[in-house]
Amino acid sequence: MNGFEFVAARDAADAGRMLAEGTASARVIAGGTDLLGELKEGVISPARLISLAGVARLRGIKAGDEGARIGAMTTLSEVAAHPHIRANYVALAQAAASVATPQIRNVGTLGGNLCQRPRCWYYRSPLFDCRKKGGAECFAYNGMNKFHAIFGGAICPAVHPSDTAVALVALGAEIELAAADGERALAADNFFAPPEADARAENVLQSGEIVAAARLPAPEAGLWSVYLKAKERQAMDFALASVALAAIVRGDRIERARIALGGVAPVPHRARAAEDALAGMRLPDVDAAEIGRLAVHNAEPLRDNGYKVRLTAGLVARAIRTLREDARETARQ
Amino acid sequence: MRADAVIGRSVARYDLPEKLTGEAQYAADVRLPGMLYGKILRSPHPHARIVRIDTSAAERLPGVRAALTPFDAPEGRIAPDVAILDSIVRFVGDEVAAVAADDEDIAADALGLIDVEYEALPAVFSVRDALMPDAPRTHPEGNLIGGKPLTLERGNVEEGFARADRVFERSFSTPAHSGSALEPRAAVAMWEEDRLTVWKSSRGVHADRLNLALALGIERENVRVIGATMGAGYGNKDETRLAVITAILARRAGAPVKMELTREEEFVAGRKRHATETTLRIGVTNAGEITAIHATTLMDTGAYLSSGPGVVRRAGQGALYLYKCANVRYDGYLAYTNQPSGGSYRALGAPQGHFALEATIDHIAQELGMDPVEFRLINHVGIEGQPGERVTPANQIVDTQPVEGGIPFSSNGLRECIEKGADAFGWRERRAADANRANHIKRGVGMSIFIYRGGPGGRSSARVSLKPDGRVGLTAGLMDVGEGSATVIAQIVAETLNMAYEDVDVLFGDTAQTPDAPITAGSTATFSTGLAAQKAANELRAKILGAAVARLGADADALELRNGRVLSKDGASLLTLSEIAAAATQDLESEAWVMPGSADYIVNSFGAHFAEVEVDTETGQVRVTRYVAAHDSGRILNPQLAANQVEGGVSQMLGFTLSEQMLTDAGSGVTLNASYLEHKSPTIQEYPPVQVVFADVIDPVGPFGAKALGEPPSIGVAPAIINAIRDAVGVEIADLPATPDRILDALAARADGEG
Repeated sequence: MNGFEFVAARDAADAGRMLAEGTASARVIAGGTDLLGELKEGVISPARLISLAGVARLRGIKAGDEGARIGAMTTLSEVAAHPHIRANYVALAQAAASVATPQIRNVGTLGGNLCQRPRCWYYRSPLFDCRKKGGAECFAYNGMNKFHAIFGGAICPAVHPSDTAVALVALGAEIELAAADGERALAADNFFAPPEADARAENVLQSGEIVAAARLPAPEAGLWSVYLKAKERQAMDFALASVALAAIVRGDRIERARIALGGVAPVPHRARAAEDALAGMRLPDVDAAEIGRLAVHNAEPLRDNGYKVRLTAGLVARAIRTLREDARETARQ
Repeated sequence: MRADAVIGRSVARYDLPEKLTGEAQYAADVRLPGMLYGKILRSPHPHARIVRIDTSAAERLPGVRAALTPFDAPEGRIAPDVAILDSIVRFVGDEVAAVAADDEDIAADALGLIDVEYEALPAVFSVRDALMPDAPRTHPEGNLIGGKPLTLERGNVEEGFARADRVFERSFSTPAHSGSALEPRAAVAMWEEDRLTVWKSSRGVHADRLNLALALGIERENVRVIGATMGAGYGNKDETRLAVITAILARRAGAPVKMELTREEEFVAGRKRHATETTLRIGVTNAGEITAIHATTLMDTGAYLSSGPGVVRRAGQGALYLYKCANVRYDGYLAYTNQPSGGSYRALGAPQGHFALEATIDHIAQELGMDPVEFRLINHVGIEGQPGERVTPANQIVDTQPVEGGIPFSSNGLRECIEKGADAFGWRERRAADANRANHIKRGVGMSIFIYRGGPGGRSSARVSLKPDGRVGLTAGLMDVGEGSATVIAQIVAETLNMAYEDVDVLFGDTAQTPDAPITAGSTATFSTGLAAQKAANELRAKILGAAVARLGADADALELRNGRVLSKDGASLLTLSEIAAAATQDLESEAWVMPGSADYIVNSFGAHFAEVEVDTETGQVRVTRYVAAHDSGRILNPQLAANQVEGGVSQMLGFTLSEQMLTDAGSGVTLNASYLEHKSPTIQEYPPVQVVFADVIDPVGPFGAKALGEPPSIGVAPAIINAIRDAVGVEIADLPATPDRILDALAARADGEG
């Protein structure tokens, strides 16, 4: 590990300023659970680390009828345990609770979870100069790719590793970004960026910009959501595939639904055909398996990950069955 | 059992307090004045010739004190195929050069300043490719070890197959996987003039001493190896270059040097379980009699041989000996590749061989319409051993891993294991139970049986002495690798001397203070060193009573030894042990040597494992929901330690079965998952309730009736679980680990077949 300068930001604008000064090799550090791994493995060697730990405004959850704002420095444990999040944005609480281990969730932050780098083993090994590091070649596309993308992986099939990102996309959240000269907010869908633009980045953060918060819209009547995650090991594992389903249900009818898939694409992947099919349907008429198939109809699996197509379809179907069972349960009460 | 018996009681490990308080010294805890830190530069190529190394920039870095390259390393060897450092590197991660510096960071920076010119050589990454006639050679003598397979045969398999009504053939594969010991290997070396002291993670200090002396070209007497507390061994600490390189750096730097592998190095350059492919061919009659078994195993030893020949032989023991059969054959092909090196790892090849054998046997039972337990009860080998003629001359100690028939076992509790295990598991009820919970979660049960050579090891020794304070010292060259052998052997001594276990002091694993000993391997420690300790304690007992006779003028028959006192037959205390020690005119010490084994019997351990699983057919997730492990390891000397040993084996091989494997990139040989995150050892969430059952068959050869237990718990796990998956969802997983992708692919293939 190379030496680096460690500085503490006073506020978000300060962080943005120090980031912009620090050239491309400066990084912000939140919980550090991912960044320290990258440093130690020699994947990155930034000249400057900017700590966000002292920026009070970046931490904490403000929630009410008008929605919720979760500061980027809020830990995943706090997100998972927050009563308002648990009651209204179930998928997000479940996604935060599904990350890694309790120790990591106690340190890891929401902002860090959204900005963590992919787990592609070629990217993580210093022995491969891959596209994500600015190299010319992708080693995964024709290599060992059982954990890689089944959607949109032609340039770089490293999958987006975040659980909370998937839930936020399904819940229609916005990501609030801060820089020295101000703030902006983007729909979560537009925050994450596919590799076609720049294989080295997974999002649209500009130089000198940090994630300040996630904003959730007001909990609409009938909002129901779930996050399901398949993994090889029940703790300390990333998603083989995951699904976040958020639906507005009135009576036994689905007014509209958003389905985001994790672990299957370089960004949280919207299953739009499945969403369209669900809109307006009566719950008893929904063929869960068919919706699952629609969610993966355009999948392009690689050599080792054909199983993800069936797995993802099964998870989507399971999410819909869960919704149906919950709705029946609610109707009975 | 007597009320004050020590054998059979779960006494606490002798080193428990120091482990609980953090005082136990692991090798990396050793700190010496002026100590430097070493680091190893590792190869980025799977196979290359090192044309040139320039360490001058590294050596100019302030704080760097010594460097070592293949071009200036001593000529000695660490093994016949392992030079101290070699100008040919044979896997990604192989040792290239080393430095010692004032601290670890400087040493790491220095590695980055070493300039190496490599000439890449063609590489080979699988046994099948390595055995091709024109394959690149990893070593000059060719890739197939010995130039031919290891072939072991009893009877004639072709005749056996001719007699069969049906012949079944199945093929299986198992991956390389790491023992994932919490403690990465470490060594500290210090020179005092020509005398070298090394603290290291060790499975055998005397063997390590010999290896260091031979590699460095110095007298064995000038080398002292101290075995530090082990943070798990699993058999392969230490088959690497680590200690020798550390010693050379220390000599060059003129200061002690410590070297500790990083977690990643431990995964890549430690030693792993060998990857295998096994084909089983078994002939049976319609009545369920096995007429012939032919097993063929291809085994990848990676870049170096290590203990490969022993591992490939053990992969065949199940096929050769677990089932009554006159006609059996095993062909084991062990080959070099440019993969990271295999090594000794708990039960050597037995888990791989038994996985293939027991999955095939289960398939056969199903095809014949027989219950798997019934089929095994009909066919398992009994105490009389295998049919055939004894070949080993009478009076000669018999091989504990024989091929020949005609030799009985000293004891054989296989039937007890199957029956007691099936009862504890509720086999018949569970087989009959409704297999479906929710419609996408299927429940199933499976079982396996196994045999393992263990117990008798090499020539073993122990020294037992009465100290002036009346306590007894037990000294052995053996290493307690964390399993508790020192505790159990102290129990043997206490029992023999009829005294409290707490009054026995243990000194193990220091070549300067202990008699020569074999390595702690092959599940031999308790049995072999235990026999030596029992013999020494019996001799000491006679000496103590002799001293009492001299002191009291009484007849020896009128005296007995109990609870640290010499008593008269009517129970009156006559002398304490400290009084005897104080008055003794001769040395109250006995050192005993044994060549453990039997000229009449094969000494083997046995077991039967039972698993219940739930398979999620949508996610491919397999959950083991219940597990019963029944073992015949003779008399159980310490039930708690024994149960821990079994539970640990089940947990370790749960990973081998469901989630762990070392993966290398097919094109470059680079290890892709050298971390706990990605070499997926199970967590507490995966670990099922495990019930441990012992057959409690008393063995006539072992110390107090004990047999081997160290490795056997790891053998039956994969087949029991894989057979349970078959029972649950009707697919056979032939390739380990049974990860969700493989389950889903197998289910899809079956659905396509039905479609």
